[in-house]
Amino acid sequence: MDPIRRSLLGQLARLSAGAALVPLSSVANAGINQQPPRREGDPTKRYGMLIDLRQCIGCQACTVSCHIENAAPLGSFRTTVAQYEVEHQETGEVATFMLPRLCNHCENPPCVPVCPVEATFQRQDGIVVVDSDRCVGCAYCVNACPYDARFINERTQTADKCTFCAHRLEAGLLPACVESCVGGARIIGDMRDPASQISRMISEHGDELMVLQPEKHTMPQVFYLGMDERFVTRPHAEPVALEVLDPHGKEMGYEFHH
Amino acid sequence: MDKSRRRFMKGAVAAGGVATFAAGYSDPLLKMGKGVTGSAGEKPNHRIHDNSLVPEYTVDPQSGELTLNPDQRVAFTVCYGCTTKCGVRVRVDKATDQVLRVSGNPYNPLSSDEHLPMRTPVVDALRGLSAYGDQGQQNRSTACARGNAMMAQIDSPFRVTHCLKRVGGRGGREWQKISFEQLIEEVCEGGDLFGEGEVDGLRAIHDHDTLIDPENPEYGPRANQLMVMEATDYGRSALLKRFTMNAFATRNYGHHGSYCGLAYRMGSGAVMDDLAKNAHTKPDIQNARFILYVGTAPSQAGNPFKRQGRLIAQARAAGTLDYVVVDPGLNASVSHAADHNRWVPILPGTDSALAMGMIQWLLNNEGYAKGFLELPGQPAADAANEATHTNATHLVIDTEGHPRRGRFLRASDLNQAEAGSEADVPMVVADGELVASDSVMAAELFVNREVALADGETLRVRSSMTLLRDAANEQDLATYAEHCGIPEDTIVDLARRFASHGRRAVTNSHGGMMSGHGFYAAFGMQMLNVLAGNHNRKGGSAVGGGQFNGVGEGPRYDLANFPGKRGPQGVFLSRSRFPYEKSSEYQRKVAAGKNPYPARAPWRSLAPPTLTEHLPSALDGYPYPIKAVIGCMANPIYGQAGLEALIADKLKDPKRLGLFVAIDGFLNETNRYADYIVPDSVMYEVWGFTSAWKGNLGKMTTACWPVVEPRQQKSEEGEPVSMDSFFIAVAKRLGLAGFGDEAIPDAEGNLHPLHLAEDFYLRAAANVAMQGEPLPAADESDIVHAGLAPLMPRIERTLKPEEHGPVAYLYARGGRFEDFKDHFKGENLTSAWKRTLCVYNEQVGTSIDTRNGELNRGVPFYSMPKLADGSAMREVFTEEEWPLLAFSFKSNLMNSYAIGLERLRMIKPYNPVMMHRQDAERFGISHGDTIRIESPGGSVVALALVGEGVMPGALGIEHGYGHRDLGATPHVIDGESQPDLEWLRAGININNLGFKDPTRSVAGTWLEPISGAAVRQGLPIRVTHIDV
Repeated sequence: MDPIRRSLLGQLARLSAGAALVPLSSVANAGINQQPPRREGDPTKRYGMLIDLRQCIGCQACTVSCHIENAAPLGSFRTTVAQYEVEHQETGEVATFMLPRLCNHCENPPCVPVCPVEATFQRQDGIVVVDSDRCVGCAYCVNACPYDARFINERTQTADKCTFCAHRLEAGLLPACVESCVGGARIIGDMRDPASQISRMISEHGDELMVLQPEKHTMPQVFYLGMDERFVTRPHAEPVALEVLDPHGKEMGYEFHH
Repeated sequence: MDKSRRRFMKGAVAAGGVATFAAGYSDPLLKMGKGVTGSAGEKPNHRIHDNSLVPEYTVDPQSGELTLNPDQRVAFTVCYGCTTKCGVRVRVDKATDQVLRVSGNPYNPLSSDEHLPMRTPVVDALRGLSAYGDQGQQNRSTACARGNAMMAQIDSPFRVTHCLKRVGGRGGREWQKISFEQLIEEVCEGGDLFGEGEVDGLRAIHDHDTLIDPENPEYGPRANQLMVMEATDYGRSALLKRFTMNAFATRNYGHHGSYCGLAYRMGSGAVMDDLAKNAHTKPDIQNARFILYVGTAPSQAGNPFKRQGRLIAQARAAGTLDYVVVDPGLNASVSHAADHNRWVPILPGTDSALAMGMIQWLLNNEGYAKGFLELPGQPAADAANEATHTNATHLVIDTEGHPRRGRFLRASDLNQAEAGSEADVPMVVADGELVASDSVMAAELFVNREVALADGETLRVRSSMTLLRDAANEQDLATYAEHCGIPEDTIVDLARRFASHGRRAVTNSHGGMMSGHGFYAAFGMQMLNVLAGNHNRKGGSAVGGGQFNGVGEGPRYDLANFPGKRGPQGVFLSRSRFPYEKSSEYQRKVAAGKNPYPARAPWRSLAPPTLTEHLPSALDGYPYPIKAVIGCMANPIYGQAGLEALIADKLKDPKRLGLFVAIDGFLNETNRYADYIVPDSVMYEVWGFTSAWKGNLGKMTTACWPVVEPRQQKSEEGEPVSMDSFFIAVAKRLGLAGFGDEAIPDAEGNLHPLHLAEDFYLRAAANVAMQGEPLPAADESDIVHAGLAPLMPRIERTLKPEEHGPVAYLYARGGRFEDFKDHFKGENLTSAWKRTLCVYNEQVGTSIDTRNGELNRGVPFYSMPKLADGSAMREVFTEEEWPLLAFSFKSNLMNSYAIGLERLRMIKPYNPVMMHRQDAERFGISHGDTIRIESPGGSVVALALVGEGVMPGALGIEHGYGHRDLGATPHVIDGESQPDLEWLRAGININNLGFKDPTRSVAGTWLEPISGAAVRQGLPIRVTHIDV
């Protein structure tokens, strides 16, 4: 890593939880920062997720169960887990860092105002969804999301993203990723309910929680526990070469590129 | 932030989705022109939820009332995604019989945090998985990535669903469809089946009256010329073994163990005094304070995968455990997100150096459980409230050349007891006196003295502990450090930390021990547990709770015995468990005045039958040739390093092997050479019973039943063709006992038929359900909520009325599981290992090395890996010529048969190899370069992943890629080319770098000397950059 970047990282403020947590008093329908009014969903709830990275084992059960549950096209993901190799600055000791990612269901979602047809909207329970009846597949929202959490579904030709498995939450069930989290890292729940597990964990760990790219002022509602603050911005990491080789060394590309 | 976490990112490694989120950017912009009148794509089912699945049930958030979705059913069964065999819950669409999604069975300890008590009504279990009161995330029951993805096997385009007979030469990948009845007839009766001459059928081979070889009568009857191999016990082995060992009664059965983890298992068996079954242990993660993982990595892989992963994750968050992972490669078990865990890199195949270095430090610094080790016998152990004792104080005869060298000095040697009697116990020294080990409460650990026998003969004796210390002191710490690549101070630090946690420090190993000195490496690593005195202790090494055995002499049916049952006899093809010195060959040589050593090929008296030797030896006809092979889901050619190059041509030769029948749902690298394919059921379509391999403290048996209809061909009788129906049909046609009418005795001695798979498995279920305190009857709600509707008529048709209710109760919960409870009595585990723990293993120490006729050593010791004739691997394959050592590691996603699953391929499409930056620089290789990897036995092309996450000098290869079959190469059936996909060929298989051991005369791959385990850790290689 170059020294300039390292020093920049060093200056990054650890995001305090207070700045990112839902302003519970916010008037959901008022519309903030050019956000159109929220509609649909249960106005008494605000869903969020807490991911305890210490308990993430990087097994990708979430990735696959989400993919099946939500019938995503092969090679497109509503959630996934990135795996990084990190090195100790002084001792050179090396360890693995797992970073599960999904839509942050931001309090100030940049994907919503850019939609020319109001297909993408935020529900009153905080879940950001896409109305596929309206969506024209223009991908403005895909480009507006700083977290790469959206994609154009090749089959429906509409924007696709994590809905916190709203269809399961509405049935009183858990999202596929939470249900299948082997290490027990993912916690979902209603943050307006002080008795919910997520509310209790937020109050217990408040100061230790971080969100991704806080400087974008999107106010993500996916909180990470055990986060290394240098990962809250897009990590400067040498990527794994994803070109697949055939047995003779010929590059085959990626099977599921659309 | 804790100082230990002050790391910075070095590179993104492996794992999926790394590029895929970014891929979201790539093509949407192209779509902008399509206008604003709506989408041009398929209309999804719901405007917001798109094509997400309709929930299987709903739970009212206020009342918790559960309402089933009438279009789906949820049933509990077993996952075949790896050998953990987790209990899972499967959602099935009733109209289409498609599996929709899979997750964990909350009653099953392998899938759940705290598994539910059996008495829990199924409806409550399902509610407990929901969001109601956050229950489902406070106590989860999960399926891993592969467990989720595996359902695609059922309707895979690569699946074989019809009986096949080869067309043209063996291995030509061309087939014709035949009926099940024709297949059974040809396999049983033989004849000129392929226009290549007469082939003996199973009827001709089933000859128990004629010896294979009258010159060598110990080889046994000709029936031994059938070899049956299977991958592993996925719950159906009992039926396969009933046929193989007790109905057809061939000696030659083998499974994947010898190319999986046998060196570890035997090393463990050596300390546990159990070389018959090679018992092993797992750490009690929840109560341990320090765990040293060497060559195994919880949450990267290992068994039980999810349970260990979950427990280690919880321990990390709770901060209760400090653990170190020693491995040539960094893996997912070492987490930057938490403190108190660390990776220590080691050179492949050198683990005995680490083990002996640590043992040296512990012995020289009294870093062992002195009081426990001093207990010389069971009376002392009982008095000390210990489940067992060790033989640390026992005296071993160590007089050079003495016929009893290696034996314990026993009471009978001193005329104090009759030889072999109960009183003939090993002797110890207490207060300077020679006494029987059961007569004192403590004895001296370190003894080295002479003993005068009654007849005046003087013997040198050393205590087990002295022999261990002598072995550990053979090299100095600096030498150990140099050989394994772990700095001396790190070894000392590990030993010191291990010692500091007393009896709550544990070590655990597994596949990393598959190296050239792997048995003794594993023996040494497991010795650390003995020195810590942690067996049977809270936070120590646990043997686990065992199982409810349904296939033995059960309370309802005797599934272990039947009228006309035979026992197999004779020498295994692998020449294991039989001393060479008892062979006719040995005696002929001695009689002819020849040196009987070295034997023509290794005879391993300590090892179980090993597939690694079975196949090559049979094809070379030593000790004897075979006539037929039946393989069930077995794929040794993919799994054993160097096997393909060694035997592929011989396997094609009908003169060396007359008949090869493969039972499988898929055409793999081994059964492509078969003459016949029997299309098998795949997971969720099968019957069976599995248990925890280890790592669970309670008693448990997981049940599976066909929760979806098998997709393959049916017999004329309407039964799905499968492993079960194949063996039943063959046995019935040959008239073998134990199958057909009057095959299964019940408790009253009445005989019941075995015509269908369920005739066997449902009776086993009755045994499981009704042993001990019988299970109660299932109620209607259980039957509905567990989706048992398709099963109930079969239970009612097959079993006695009083068995229906308990068996339904069992299947409604996916098995029988001891309730979650405290599995401890004070500091002791309730499931204890009661045999003497071995510092010195007498059986090993008195066995003979057939290379030279010398005794094997009964304590662990350090050695560099050796070849079959005893020469050091590095003398034959020098570092100058082969500068790197390849090692393999298990993938957390892919397994050896999962490459056809696109949902795994999309995350990790292939396996670039891990190479250290220093090595990359040394060989002019950059990150992402295409390289050629050559070994003495093969050459592959790979992509280099350059970083710091691997030991310099080592090259890491993730297992599961580099396939040539399973859909990677087209097969032709009835003239039509079957689907194939080039993506399945991506990546490399370390076993293609295995090699023929050049020091053997009977052909063999490089095998670990004691166990016969395939060596895949530390294969000598060289790498070169290539321009493509």
